[in-house]
Amino acid sequence: MEIRTDDLHAMLGGTEILHGIDFTAGDRSLVGVIGPNGSGKSTLLKCIYRVLKPSEGAVFVDGQPLSEYRVRDSAKKIAVLAQHNFYNFEFTVQDVVLMGRAPHKRALERDSAADFKIVHEAMERVGVASLRDRLFSTLSGGEQQRVLLARALAQQTPCLILDEPTNHLDIKYQLELLDLVRSLDRTVIAAIHDLNIAAMYCDTIFVMQSGHIVAAGAPRDVLTRSLIRSVYEVDADVFTDSDGLLRVLFYPQSLV
Amino acid sequence: MKQNGILRGRPTYLLVIALLTAAVLLSLAAAVTLGSVDISIGEVYRVILFKTFGLGDPAVYGTGAVSDIVWFVRLPRLVLAVGVGMCLSLAGVVMQAIVRNPLADPYVLGVSSGASLGASLAILTGVGTGLLGANAPGVLAFIGAFAVSVAVVALANLGGRANAVKLLLAGTALSSVCAAFSNFLLYLSASANAAQTLMRWTMGSLAGAEWPTNIPILVISLLGLLFFWSQFRTLNLMLLGDDTALTLGVDLHRRRLAYLLVASLLVGCAVYTAGLIGFVGLVIPHIVRILFGSDHKKIVPISALLGAIFLLWADVLCRVLIPGAELPIGVLTAMIGAPCFIWLMIRRKYGFGGGD
Repeated sequence: MEIRTDDLHAMLGGTEILHGIDFTAGDRSLVGVIGPNGSGKSTLLKCIYRVLKPSEGAVFVDGQPLSEYRVRDSAKKIAVLAQHNFYNFEFTVQDVVLMGRAPHKRALERDSAADFKIVHEAMERVGVASLRDRLFSTLSGGEQQRVLLARALAQQTPCLILDEPTNHLDIKYQLELLDLVRSLDRTVIAAIHDLNIAAMYCDTIFVMQSGHIVAAGAPRDVLTRSLIRSVYEVDADVFTDSDGLLRVLFYPQSLV
Repeated sequence: MKQNGILRGRPTYLLVIALLTAAVLLSLAAAVTLGSVDISIGEVYRVILFKTFGLGDPAVYGTGAVSDIVWFVRLPRLVLAVGVGMCLSLAGVVMQAIVRNPLADPYVLGVSSGASLGASLAILTGVGTGLLGANAPGVLAFIGAFAVSVAVVALANLGGRANAVKLLLAGTALSSVCAAFSNFLLYLSASANAAQTLMRWTMGSLAGAEWPTNIPILVISLLGLLFFWSQFRTLNLMLLGDDTALTLGVDLHRRRLAYLLVASLLVGCAVYTAGLIGFVGLVIPHIVRILFGSDHKKIVPISALLGAIFLLWADVLCRVLIPGAELPIGVLTAMIGAPCFIWLMIRRKYGFGGGD
């Protein structure tokens, strides 16, 4: 499944944040969106997952404008894992994952055995099956994030959006999450802060700066010394290590 | 790790619902034999049997003081208590989900102030009494409650879509306006008698119960229960907030408005028949959340049934606590509810259910 934006503009509080974004995520590819704070990464993703309405331009999902989808239908296409806030409720892990089935249920339909099977598989996949009856609020941050990933998986969508879900997590969880997401064989769009993680996992990277896309392409072509200098205003070394991985090393400002 | 909240298992909740339904019926059967007038249990049931199925001697059980007390005084009050208890608890559960705040009660969005203003207009200035007679305070209170809900929704939708915070702010603002006008009317009113009537009304009472209003209220409360029970999935998603709900396929905006209006209708019915009865809609949903968690599939029906049982026995207490007099039910529910609430607050971390 393919997601595309065409000359996308978006406003937040009267200020235009996105100034005409042309973005494409191809079928089953892992697409990273990088850029400094305030560059518009999250705003772009919010337009794609419908929480924000573009002021101009449009998002296309499988060639059809997103605005023509019913909310329920777009939730069958796109699942979201976002930075999540503290939830002030008492749901068990299974209850939370079961909510991923919501877009597939009609108004009076009850949860079926098939739903519970899907939920169980999703929990197994992310390794939270043993936490099934625990209360969501009693889990650690990493566990909560995995439960929310299980919920997104239970949604069974061809596309998954990661809106900086790993920012406050330990590096171990960040790597685990991206490894898992990569193995899903779905279209994944992820806003990523860490350039090394972006370099390791993404098929394609879009670089944003001040609401524009300033570069796009394979990590190796995009992540260059000069680009990092101009976008992030820091000096860095970019090289391929002995395992063939693209690495970015930063220098302290005082050394430059 | 301690598993918080007992009775969380899946089949348990259906059993609890069945038990509570039985408890409502048993409470009705038991409470109808209690009262300030001494009537034997046998006589009570013979009157009910005659009135409902036409069994027995019409001369003994169809007319007279005993028959009237059972059929026109005690039973209607109990049935009304069941209906009003369900309405208030349901509205409480739904309001808490709508504003995403477990401190919310059925009156949180200014509904009670609107109802009070309506009642004040009728009692203090005589608006509508020509047309509606003694029903005027109730009818105007209903209109006031509903009008304020609609106004809250309209106000919260100005300058962008309503959300939980804007609804709360609009509710608080309109609440103040209505309270100010109620006080203004009270200040202008020369009649001490009218002021006392108004005060009694704001304390709540089920004494006005009668069959022609009871049956509709009972039906409306049951329909409300079925409606909100069927909406459990959306109510659950409401706790996660607008953005998450949207990514899970539900646009909360319109649902929230619809639920708000249905809940106001339930509150309006309760206010119309019983005045203002506080704490039921706050404490009952809260206790149920502690025991059963946040899943509305469980807490909607259980809260409704528990609210019915609570109000039914509260009304019995009101009638028998002070011999020869009757305690206003709103006073009693506050007397029971407020300490319960304080105890809950001290005991637990503040949240949408169990867990500390």
